[in-house]
This record gives sequence, C-alpha cells and structure tokens, in this order.
Amino acid sequence: MTLDAKIPSGPIQEKWDRHRFDSKLVNPANKRKYTVIIVGTGLAGASAAASLGELGYNVMSFCIHDSPRRAHSIAAQGGINAAKNYQNDGDSIYRLFYDTVKGGDYRAREANVYRLAQVSVNIIDQCVAQGVPFAREYGGLLDNRSFGGAQVSRTFYARGQTGQQLLIGAYQSMMRQVEAGTVTIFPNREMLDLVVVDGRACGIVCRNLITGAIERYAAHAVLLATGGYGTAYYLSTNAVNSNVTAAWRCHKRGALFANPCFTQIHPTCIPLSGDHQSKLTLMSESLRNDGRVWVPTKKGDKRPPSQIPEAERDYYLERRYPSFGNLVPRDVASRAAKAVCDDGQGVGVTGFSVYLDFADAIQRLGRDVITERYGNLFDMYKRITDEDPYQVPMRIYPAVHYAMGGLWVDYNLMSNLPGLHVLGEANFSDHGANRLGASALMQGLADGYFVIPYTLGHYLASGGLAPVSTDHDAFAQAADSVQKRIDRLLQVKGKETPRQLHRRLGAVLWDEVGMGRNEAGLTRAIARIPQLREEFWQNVSVPGTPDNLNKNLEYAGRVADYLEFAELLAIDALHRTESCGGHFREESQTPEGEAKRDDEHFSYVAAWEFSGVDQPPVLHQEPLEFEYCKPSQRSYK
Amino acid sequence: MATLWRAVSSSVGTKVVIALSGLALFAYLILHLIGNLFIFLGPAALNGWGHTLISNPLVVPAEIGLLLIFLIHVYKAALNWWDNRHARPTSYAEKKWAHHTSRKNVGSTTMIWTGALILLFVAIHVSAFKYGAFYEPPAWEPGVRDLYGLVVHTFLNPLWAGFYVACLVLAGVHLRHGIASSFQSLGADGPRFTPAIMLIGYLLAVVIAAGFAFIPVWVYFRLG
Amino acid sequence: MEKMTIHLRVWRQAGPNAPGRLVPYTVENVIPDMSFLEMLDVLNEELIAKGEDPVAFDSDCREGICGTCGLVINGIPHGPDRGATVCQLHMRRYKHGDTITIEPWRARAFPLIKDLVVDRSAFDRLIQASGYTSINVGGAPDANAVLIPKDKAERSMDAAACIGCGACVAACKNASAILFVSAKVAHLGMLPQGQVEHKHRVVKMIDRMDDLGFGSCSNEGECEAVCPKEIKLANIAYLNRSYLTARFFGGL
Repeated sequence: MTLDAKIPSGPIQEKWDRHRFDSKLVNPANKRKYTVIIVGTGLAGASAAASLGELGYNVMSFCIHDSPRRAHSIAAQGGINAAKNYQNDGDSIYRLFYDTVKGGDYRAREANVYRLAQVSVNIIDQCVAQGVPFAREYGGLLDNRSFGGAQVSRTFYARGQTGQQLLIGAYQSMMRQVEAGTVTIFPNREMLDLVVVDGRACGIVCRNLITGAIERYAAHAVLLATGGYGTAYYLSTNAVNSNVTAAWRCHKRGALFANPCFTQIHPTCIPLSGDHQSKLTLMSESLRNDGRVWVPTKKGDKRPPSQIPEAERDYYLERRYPSFGNLVPRDVASRAAKAVCDDGQGVGVTGFSVYLDFADAIQRLGRDVITERYGNLFDMYKRITDEDPYQVPMRIYPAVHYAMGGLWVDYNLMSNLPGLHVLGEANFSDHGANRLGASALMQGLADGYFVIPYTLGHYLASGGLAPVSTDHDAFAQAADSVQKRIDRLLQVKGKETPRQLHRRLGAVLWDEVGMGRNEAGLTRAIARIPQLREEFWQNVSVPGTPDNLNKNLEYAGRVADYLEFAELLAIDALHRTESCGGHFREESQTPEGEAKRDDEHFSYVAAWEFSGVDQPPVLHQEPLEFEYCKPSQRSYK
Repeated sequence: MATLWRAVSSSVGTKVVIALSGLALFAYLILHLIGNLFIFLGPAALNGWGHTLISNPLVVPAEIGLLLIFLIHVYKAALNWWDNRHARPTSYAEKKWAHHTSRKNVGSTTMIWTGALILLFVAIHVSAFKYGAFYEPPAWEPGVRDLYGLVVHTFLNPLWAGFYVACLVLAGVHLRHGIASSFQSLGADGPRFTPAIMLIGYLLAVVIAAGFAFIPVWVYFRLG
Repeated sequence: MEKMTIHLRVWRQAGPNAPGRLVPYTVENVIPDMSFLEMLDVLNEELIAKGEDPVAFDSDCREGICGTCGLVINGIPHGPDRGATVCQLHMRRYKHGDTITIEPWRARAFPLIKDLVVDRSAFDRLIQASGYTSINVGGAPDANAVLIPKDKAERSMDAAACIGCGACVAACKNASAILFVSAKVAHLGMLPQGQVEHKHRVVKMIDRMDDLGFGSCSNEGECEAVCPKEIKLANIAYLNRSYLTARFFGGL
C-alpha cells in the first residue's frame, strides 16, 4: 500500500487556495441527495454537521451522549489560537504554522499545518458571529493572552470555559440545522462498526444505548469525529465515556492508525488520591507562571511542606532548566516530575506528586493578585483535595491528556478507506508528536467549518457513489458481528468487573508506555496486554440484558477495544526508537537527559494496518518532508 | 387579537396577567385600608365616607371592574397551578428547600391555598358587610347606612374577630410572596433594586395585614 | 485514612413504565476523598461482581462542566454544595453511618429512562427553537468589526456558563425550564450578534417550552440556588421583559 497524502503542489501559501479551486463542486440542487453520517458531536463533529447542513447535505449526526452538547470538547479550559495578530506583536499565519510544526517536534505534515494556521482567522470570526462570549478589553475589542509558553498573544478565551463556549456555538448552529430539517440527530447511539462495500465506507452500525437495538445507517460518506484514545490509560483528563471504539472498529475494517504512541501527558493535574479514582482533573498550566515546583531533597521526607527548610527543597525545574525554569514545555515538565517521584522524592500519600508552591508569589504580589489570576483554579483544587493552596503548596502530577495520534488521513481528511473522513482529535494530522496549548480547539473547528465542506464536496462530486441499501450483505454481516460480540460479552459471566480490568490495563500502559518508555518495558507491555485480553474474555462480569440501558455492557465493549488498541500503542512506541515530543524513549536522549530525535530514520508517519487480533500489525510509512521549517533540536536550558 | 390571546396564554403571559391583576388588587387593598381608617374618627366619619362612595355613579362600573380583575386573577392562578401540577407527574420521595439564594418561603409554597382561602373569605366578607345587615341610620343622617354600627356589632363577637384576624394573616402570607413576585414576573429584577423590592414587598404585606387586622382587634378590646 | 460506612436509598426503576422504588444499599470503606460518583462506582463494582444489575446513572467529564450528571441527593438537586455538580461533591461532606437518599430528576418533560437516568432531549428541542444566531459558515465579518462593551460581554458570559444539566427543572416546584431558557436568551441577547433575532427567539423559545410540558415560573428562585453555574434569576426577569416587549411592541 502506498500512502498518498494528496498534498497539492505549489508554494505552501497557495496550496489550499489552489486545492479549493481544483476541487469539484456539488450542484446546489443535488446536495440534499447526498447523505452524510457524522459520528461524534464535539467541536469537529458539530461544526461539520452545522456547515454541511447549511450547504444542504442530508446529515445524520450520532453521539453516545444524551445530547450533542456533552461532548468532551466542553472541558477545554485555556483557549483557542488564531493568527489574527490583533495585538500587533509579530504574529502571522506563517508564525503560527512554524510554531505548530516546531512544537510538534517535526512530526506533522507541513501542508496541513499551514492550512490550519490559515483558516484559524476565520474560526474566530465565525465564533464571534455565533455569539461566543470571548473575553474583551474595555475598549470592546477581543482580548488575547499568551498561552503555553508562546511568545505572542494569540489565544482567544472565554473565562476558563473556552471549549464549552465554542462547542455551544457549534452545537447551536447544528441545532439550527436540525430545526431546518437538514440535520437529524441520533443521540444515545454508539457506533460499533463501519460498513465497507467495494472498498468504500458507506454506512455504520450502531447500538441504540436506550433500547439496545442494533441499528444500520447508510450514507454516501462517513465522517468520524470521535476524539482521542487517552482513556485507554484508565486514568486521564478525558471524560469517563470518551473511548477509542469507533476509531478502532474503523481500523479493524481497514483504516490505518497513525502514530498511536504520540500521547500528550499534561504536567499540572490534581494527583491521584486512591484506587477509587475514576478520572484526573486538569488545572490550567497558567499556574506555572507564578507557582514554583519543588520536592524535598531527602527521599521519603514525610514532614509537612511548611516544616521543610529552604535548603532542603529541590526546585528541580529551576535547577535543571535555568532559563525556562518552571515554564518548560508540557512534556519536559511531566518527565521531570516522574523522574523525581521515581527517585523517591515524591510527596503526598501515594508519593506520586510534587509541590507547586505559591508562597513566594503570594508574598511578592499579594494574595489579591493571586486570587484574581487563579482564584477559580484554587477553589477547584480545594474542592477536590480539601487543602487550601493559599496555605499549603498544591500537589500536582502529570496525567494523560491528549492523543496526537489517530486514524491516518490525507490532505482531504480522508482515510485510506474512500468515503471515511476523520476529523479533529480522532485523526493524526496536525500536531505531530506534541500539541501546543490552545491548538486542539483550533483544529477541531478548522476541520469541521472550513476544511471538510470543500474536501467532502470534492469526494461526493467525483462520482461513482452508487447508493447502498442497509439490506446489503455488508450491513447484515456487520450487524451480525456486533450482535455476536455483545452476546459474547454477556455470556462470559465471570468475576471481574470491566473497571478492574481497565484499571489493570491502565497501570501497564502508564508504567511501560507512559512518560518514559524503553525497550524492556515496552516488550513487557506487549507480552502483558494479550494476557489481560485473555483474562478479560475469560472472566469479565456483565450482568443485565442487552435490550435496555446497560452502561456496564457499553463499558465492557469499550474496555475490550482498549485491550486490542493498547497493544498497537505499545508496538508503535517500541518501533519508534527515537524520542520526539510526547514520545520519550529513554534510549534516545542527549547527555543532559533531553529528548533526542532521529530525523534520519524516523521522519515519517507510522501508519499501521490491522491484520487480525493477536497478529502483528503491518507498518506503512508516509515520509515527512520539511521544506519550510527545518528541523532543529529543542533546547530549554 | 389572536396574537394577544397567545401572548396572555403562554406561561410567561399567564404570570404577567397574574402579576398585573394581583398588583391591581393590592392597590385596591391600599384604598380599602385608607377608607377603613375612618373608623378611628368615629361613626360619622366612617358612615359619611361609605355614603360618599356608594353615591358616586361610577361605583358600579368600578365594582364590576374590580370583580373582573379578581376573577381573572383567580382563574389564571388556578389554571396555572393546575398546569404546573402536571409538569411533574411523579413527585419526589424526599424534597428539601434549597435555601442559599432561594426566595422560597411559606408564602411562595402556599399561594394557591392561601389564595383559595382568601377567595372564601372575600365571599363571606362581602356578604357580611356589603350585603349584610342594614342598621337604621341615626336620625340626623337619613338615608345613610350605619356601617360603623355593623362593624362594631360584628367584631364584638369574638368568633368574627378571630376569624378576620386569621384570614388577614393568610392574606399577609399571600402578599409576602405576591408583591415582590409580581415585579419579577413583569421583568423588574436587577442587582441594585431587587433587594429593595423584596424588602418593601415584605413590609407592605405586613402593613396591609396588620392594618386590616387591627380593626377587629381594636373593636373587640377597646369597644367591647 | 478513616473509612466510613454509608447507607443509601437509591431509586431503582427498570424502565420508563416499570414500577420504581427506593432500594436500600450499604457501602463500606468509603474514603472522604472519594467523589460522590466514585462512591456510587464502588457500589456498582460490588453489584457487578455479584452479578446484579448496577445502578444506572449518567456522568461524563466528572469535573463539573459537561452537565451530564445530575442526582437529587437528600432532596436537593446536585446535593448540598453550592455552585457544584454531583461529580464535584465529595464524601467528606458526609460522616460515618449517614443515610443518603438518591433520586433522579423528576419532570414530565424529562421522562425517566432507567434508575437515575432521565431523557433531557427537551433541552435540545428548546435550543432548536431559535437558541442560536442564524449565521452560516463563511460569511462572518471580522471578529473585531463590532465592538462589544466589556460589561455586556461579561453578562453574556455569565448566562452562557449554563451547562444544560437540568437541575433548575429538577428543583423547580413547577418543573419549569425558564432559567435554562432565560440563560440562553440573555447569553445571546446581551450581544449585538444575538440582538438581531432577539424578539423572535424569546417568543419561539417560550412557545416551545410550553409545548414541551415544562411548568411556569413561580419566582421562588430554587433554580438559582441549585444551579451549579449560579445562573441568576435576573435573567428570567430579562426574559419576561423581552417577551412583553416582543409581544406588545414588537409586532409578534
């Protein structure tokens, strides 16, 4: 299989314009004759549903939630980047493009990233017109802030709820189309299979989560916008229902999975408090602007922080990275925290957390300033931990946050399966090996509002799309396999809950495929995951029946998919012997302990083809070329 | 016309009608209370006031208007209560007041019941006074009804006095929520003046209830 | 860390038309740092391990922003904490031996699906009735083309913070959705972009709310008191004003 990314020719600034001109158009009168399935209603899915509905396509929108507005895009706090240069501080489309490629540690496709930076400016216009209440200055203009260590202020925000507000904007636009009759919503549906006929994606099979019915839907194209796979690690900042199932089922039907080992671990999360924990809560990394990170110098020091004298504190980020200090990028900060905790210097009951101390900042700036800047975060921390960060240092620890990897797509956001398009976090395309803060929201909306309306039109107008009925054998076969799998889950009647098994898988992934990865650990994980899978199918307990709301059954199905997916994640991590972005191979580091890329051997996208459970996947490579951003080694000393 | 009907039958419109009619009834209560105060000036003053009122040719249309407002208030409130009951067919096994910023109070939770009792009271009150016994007027005031005598005679009976006081307490409870709530229904709510509206509504409810209730008490204890 | 025993009375109902009742359970080894939903997870883990049907309840983000979770805990939607959802409630609020009653949202417009899960799609249908600006993708003017006073933007944001959880409906004695509707009307109405369709929006959303079987407002403010995002009752007054203006002076 050769992977053709279909990158348009010409200078990077002109590629998207040319491509739009070269793309075929669907006659306005014919648009309603095309049915498009969109799975997922986060920023990418909802924006795609709205824009395609506005164009007149017949859109069917599916989500696992009770309402499209619940998708996990809502949880994004920080903001959304756009190259508006409203602050006159030197930003430009080119600079946003450059920062994103560099931030992704040179593992993203330049043409995609440039397009993302180009349309970023339209996103803000669109959202403001929708009534997204972005923060404003007293003069009435939009406010911007610098985010995630960026040197320009290009981040637009709506308090700490930017994701929520952007999603509500997209959701409302989509509901407008529901009222207009172009979009039909199918909430409480879980996509459990992709239907492929003659090599084209032409429908999906879902379970109605309320009635348990297995339902079939046919369409001319399927758009997958189902988010990332962070929950494979059990504990993550993702929502508890976020899952890899839809993407994984597409993979099993032939869609390539690209760079699954590129996972982002966020450094400022509230640490684990015990086994009962069901998810981790992220706090904005803006906290690192004023907080100082430290651990006791002495291992296993159990004294309360106030009794540890200054001389016995190790401000390890400031020590190791004198020029960036506490503001080093996410991956560097995360790994450093893990390193000190692995050394036994960690604090808290579990020993897996580090202090983020505001005492100096409070003394220097006064409590009022700190309250103004971080009051809501301090309240959130206190609500969860019952500790007052004004009095005692916060405790933080890294947590799995975002998946840069995802299904492989070309420049048109189409996977290697014709008709299957993948949007937002579910695809692999724009963030390389590491995503910059405030870029996820930008990508989701870019894909849905400004990219897919053009590229999908081209696909549909290119012809040859004979309608497929849901009575087709392929539908029957897919529905049958879905039903069999559900029956099988119910028949095991074992002793372990899906959560227990998920937790164990998460522990393996966190230990061996987490922040620091090495050959021995990855090999152990690759051996251990199939055993867990075996245990799952021998011993899982799924009480109840399939014909009504059965959340444990849903969950068990998702865990079964994690148990297959996790193996691919580990295999990808093992094969990529370089360190880059969020993927840190301990074998590949500089003498100072920093990530060392191997551009000579790994400047490619690793796209994996499924060849059966318990069969090794097949690697396909899409070489990456950097014409505009020349790879350089990151340094934060 | 159809638009107007739609407007007043919607949930918001219904509340507006209840609020406006309620405020009109409240305004009438103030006038009524002012009239009642003539009792403290003696029989001549009260009877004279009463006579002036009923001698005015506009009194009948005014009474019809008042009755209409009253009936609209009762009808809309009862309908609203009935509809709202259906908005929650299964009730909670356990439900508590949320307190915090909530304005829920004894008055707000019993509006329909205090309202129903007030309706009953008004019927009794009108039949007892407006259509009640006609005492012979004093010789020097031919043709004037001796309202003063009727009031005194009625409230010297402890049962009547007690009944009136009880009903006026209920009216106060009704107004305690009703006055301030009307302003909210009409769209008057803002961080600066809402606390004032709440307080004034509360005080007016007390003043109205206490003002009216004072008369039976005064009659019973001072004239008895 | 100390461990607590908590007694629960949980509403169990197999389906929309099945009879429901409060079923007693006891959860041992509850840790104060657990969230309320994690305590329910523990209960469900025990039930699943025993082969019994676990208690169905909704939750997703578990950080108080998605609006998926919602339980009436000891008679108060989202429980005793102010400005917080159930998933932000922690067991340190309770003590060893406490009995906690857990019920679903109850409203005709939110029919029960199973146990503690209700169908809140009525909220989607409310938004569908004009809870948006009619702006197609592509034609938007520059984001800074219209200046918006900061205080208006802030008031809009205050209302836009609504997460659509439905606690307002659950708390209201009339199961009214008016706080939800008013939050949307105020969110968009405070902004010039939303003003264009403001009067139509107000009328359509109120008509839809009435059609969906929600009750009317009694101005008690229980909704505001339980709202996890502390949406203000003043929005309802704004809605009422807007409705009156639209109906009597707006030609609608």
